[in-house]
Order: sequence, then C-alpha cells, then structure tokens
Amino acid sequence: MLSGNVLQALGIDSNTIFLIFWVGFFFVTFFYQARLQSYMALNDISRGLNKLKLMRDKARKEAIDYLVNVGKTTNDPTQRVDQFLDYVTIMPVDIDPAGLVGKIDHVVTTNNDRVRAEVGTLLGQNNPVTVSISENLLEVATSLNAIHKIVRHFYLLGKKTNSYITLLQLQMLMPMIIQEADALLNAVDSFKLGQPVGDGIGPVIVSRYMAGKEKRAVAKDTVMAITEYKGRKLYVLKADGPMAYVGQPGVAIKKIMGDMGVKPSAIVMIDAALKLEGEKTGEIAEGVGAAIGGIGVEKFQIEEAATNAKVPLYAILVKQSLLEAITVMRKEIAEAADKASQVLNRVIEEKTKEGDDVVVAGIGNTLGVAQ
Amino acid sequence: MMSSVPGPDKKTKLLVYTIEECPVCGQKTKRAFTVGDYVTKDGAKCTKCSNQTRVSLVYAEGTKPSG
Repeated sequence: MLSGNVLQALGIDSNTIFLIFWVGFFFVTFFYQARLQSYMALNDISRGLNKLKLMRDKARKEAIDYLVNVGKTTNDPTQRVDQFLDYVTIMPVDIDPAGLVGKIDHVVTTNNDRVRAEVGTLLGQNNPVTVSISENLLEVATSLNAIHKIVRHFYLLGKKTNSYITLLQLQMLMPMIIQEADALLNAVDSFKLGQPVGDGIGPVIVSRYMAGKEKRAVAKDTVMAITEYKGRKLYVLKADGPMAYVGQPGVAIKKIMGDMGVKPSAIVMIDAALKLEGEKTGEIAEGVGAAIGGIGVEKFQIEEAATNAKVPLYAILVKQSLLEAITVMRKEIAEAADKASQVLNRVIEEKTKEGDDVVVAGIGNTLGVAQ
Repeated sequence: MMSSVPGPDKKTKLLVYTIEECPVCGQKTKRAFTVGDYVTKDGAKCTKCSNQTRVSLVYAEGTKPSG
C-alpha cells in the first residue's frame, strides 16, 4: 500500500512499470545474451565433465581390482596403472606421406608390444586370457582418461578466454562424448567376465569353419585353418581366441598370398559394422572392399595384397551400434550368425568355382570366441 | 555365476546366456553364462543323443522390468 502510494506520488503507474521491465529485458538480452548462454554452457559442460571424471575413475578402479584379484599382482599396481594412463603414442609425421603406413604400423606395433610386456610384468601369472583382458581394461581406462583430459582442456580454455563459440561447440558435442564414454565404461563388465562382444561376430562365424581343423599361427595373435567347402579350398583366419585379441589379419593375408604362395579367387571378410540411427541391430549388409576398422594399417595391407594380385574383396557386415559392438554380444547379433554363414556360403558359391582357393577372414575382437 | 549388465536404456537388464549345441543331432540347450565359457568350448553331454555338445553362442537378452 505504502509502495503504491509512493509510486502514485512519483506519477508512475502500472503501464510505466511494465514498460521499464520490457526495456530492461530487451537491454539485458541484447547486450548480455552471449554471456548468459556462455554461463549456461559452462554449467552444462561442467556437469558432463564430472560424469566423465567419475567414469574414468571407475574404469581405473576396475582395472586395478582386476589386476589384483584375477591377475594376482604381487605388488600394489596403482602407481604403474596411473603411469600407464598417461602414456602417449606419438604418431609419425605426415607432411611427407610416402611410406606413412609402414611408420604407423611400426609405432603401433611398438606400443602394443610395450603394453603386453608391461601388463606381463604387472601380473603374477601368464594366463593369456587374463593378460589380454588386462590389456583391454587398461586401454579402456586410458581412453576414458584421454577423453576427460581433452574435454577439460577445452572447457578451461573456453572459460579462460571467455570464448562463447568454443563453449557452445563443446556443449553441443557433450551428449555424443558422454554416450561414447558410457559405451566404453559398459565394455568393462564384458571384458572382466570374458564374454564375447558384438564386435566378435566375425570370429564367431568363421570359428564354425575352423572347428576340428588343424590351426596354425600365421601372424601375431592370428590363426588359420584350411578347410573345404563344395570343392573350394578355404583358408579361414581369425584372431587367436578366446583371448581378447584382434590379431593382424593384414599380415596374415599377405603371408598366405606371399610366403605360402596361395592364389585365391576371392577374399571374403566378415566384420561388425556401425549401424546408422534407424537401422536394425543384426541386419546383414553385403559389399565389396576390405571390411576392417582400426587405424587403417591392416586395411591398407589387405587392399595392397588384393590389388597387386587382382583378387576381388567381398565384405559381409553385421550392423550394430558402438555400445553393442564393445559390450556383451546381443541376441540379435548372435542370431545373425546363421544368416551371415548362409550369405558367406552363397558368396563363395557365386563368386568362385570348384577347385578355387578362397581366403575367409573373421575380423574383430575374439574375446570369448575360440576356434 | 549369472551375469547381468545394464541394457542400453538403463531400465532393462541384460541376462547373459550360453547356448550348447550338439554337433550330431543339433539339439540346443540354453543355460546361464558362467565365467570361463567361450564359443567352441566343450559343453555337457547331449540330453537327446548323449554326444559331446559344444558352446555355439554366448549372448545377452534383455529382460523387461516388472511393474
């Protein structure tokens, strides 16, 4: 009542108050909109960053617990694991691209050998399944550590420089980054228990062709068996399971076609492929080309070997999401194995003739899939 | 040990099963996954023809939450 009287005495009515409010609102939104949105973006990113930190810590703890409880480490591995998380792989210079794949292969192989040797020294046993699972758990923790560090870097940089655009871009990417980090964290449970993951569908399919046949090592962590299908000689290869290996299919195919002198009429590769949103899990796609992911070294080697010998490359792909590819194999993916085997048989029958040699490669992480 | 992991939508739980298949009569048996199971591992004797079964698949299936 008193304030109403004061306003009346000043000659300010309710219309004037509304006008002042709207002018004030216009002023604030016109001049401070970017700052307000930066503030909201900072809050959003900060929440996401906390989630990423919790994920990283959980993956680190799971790796340490596995090393202690299953790996039977003799000493406390915490310090070594922390050093491991910050270990970097420096990629070769690419300003002169000639021979770059060989250099990348060398750096990556050196890193993989180092990881295995280091895990070997940490563990109190040398069971290959335990060693490979430990390697994978440490890789998951390392990836989550790297994601957390990169997001934190851009968050702090955007905050420090008050860069609205940097923060906005990071805010827009956060849901996808969290989704990817969540998939990595979920992979920990499957790895710990030695369960086949969705990515292992290729090895599951080819293991059926290798069962009961003599296996031989053809490359690091990679085995091959020779079998027959309707008068064709099949050279079937996959990573050595049930360890969590991906093997070296590129080296293996080069060896089969080089050292072993095999002249295949076709190379058929079976792999998991990331589905697009809207596609069904377990759908099978056929195509041509080298069906293999990764950094590109193996793909290059296979393409080179096939091109030099003019051998057609056929691909059979089983669709799945990133989460499904690195966590325990879903029923829809497992059930696609029968259909994919039928497709493989049909491709062999249609593209080759009796008496031909065919290379069949099951690509993917072979955890929980022996041969 | 029955293994369960969270499903993609966090509400469904995924239960992991091992499928043992008889190479002679094709009889399939579904049981809970136990640590140490892997594809191609020898399983129990076939309930139909008493031949040695082999693990043919290990997969997770979603369970709908009740209520």
